[in-house]
Amino acid sequence: MTTMRIKSDQEIRELLDGYGIKHGPVVESTRHLYEKKLKEAMVKDKVTVTKPSPDRTFYREEREEVSYVNYRTPVRSEWPSGDGEPYMRSRPEYSDRDLVDEKLYSRSRPEYSSGRQYVDEPHVYNTQSSSSSYSKPTPVVKPGGGVVKAERKASSGRLIPLWIQFLVFLIVAGFLYFLFTSMESAESSPFNRIQ
Amino acid sequence: MSTTSQKHRDFVAEPMGDKPVTALSGIGEVLGKKLEEQGFDKAFAVLGQYLLLRKDGELFTEWLKDTSGANSRNAASCSQCLREWCDSFL
Repeated sequence: MTTMRIKSDQEIRELLDGYGIKHGPVVESTRHLYEKKLKEAMVKDKVTVTKPSPDRTFYREEREEVSYVNYRTPVRSEWPSGDGEPYMRSRPEYSDRDLVDEKLYSRSRPEYSSGRQYVDEPHVYNTQSSSSSYSKPTPVVKPGGGVVKAERKASSGRLIPLWIQFLVFLIVAGFLYFLFTSMESAESSPFNRIQ
Repeated sequence: MSTTSQKHRDFVAEPMGDKPVTALSGIGEVLGKKLEEQGFDKAFAVLGQYLLLRKDGELFTEWLKDTSGANSRNAASCSQCLREWCDSFL
């Protein structure tokens, strides 16, 4: 607290500029006010530094991308050599798209861990045209299509924590399922037991 | 017309000259005394401080609150008074 006092006028001026605080000349009568403002700004800075959310999401995305790349290399060795070359050729293109997918699916990794394996297979078949390799995964993740839209909203704003969105989704899905099964209508429901 | 007091209108109507600090809008006896103790015995001294703070209303109100213990309303009133005076005469 008293460290402010020992700073020279010039140093206080520089600190104020550093924090972007508009100020006038630092003279005797104004010094106390600027010292107070600097203390407030420093406290605010400490608060924002300890907030982990923006940095942590970056980390998570980076980590996810790296882990996904590692996942791919052992798969490559499994496939026969005939597919090895075209696999390599379209791999960077697909990995670019995967990076885009990563950002969308970064939050939903636990859910899509099984979906990833499906993603690999069609990729090998579609080595000829890399454009369709992007369209193939979409029917696979169709059941979770609604989640993707919710994902986009979550990743852009992140106002509502993700787990709450998942919870709400599960509750709504469960409720709809319950309604569906409790219907007495004659529609052929796939959920009915085969008699 | 905004809610300006007679005191305010009197102050911004003419150059302040040697008017005491209590002539400022928002500064009564109690606050005036505290300001005088700090060395601001004349209105132009407070004007000087306002100018030093680059005529920034927020900074000035904060300074005034710190120095004299004024509340937000009085500080804002004084700030507005000085601002209008500067608009006319500075």
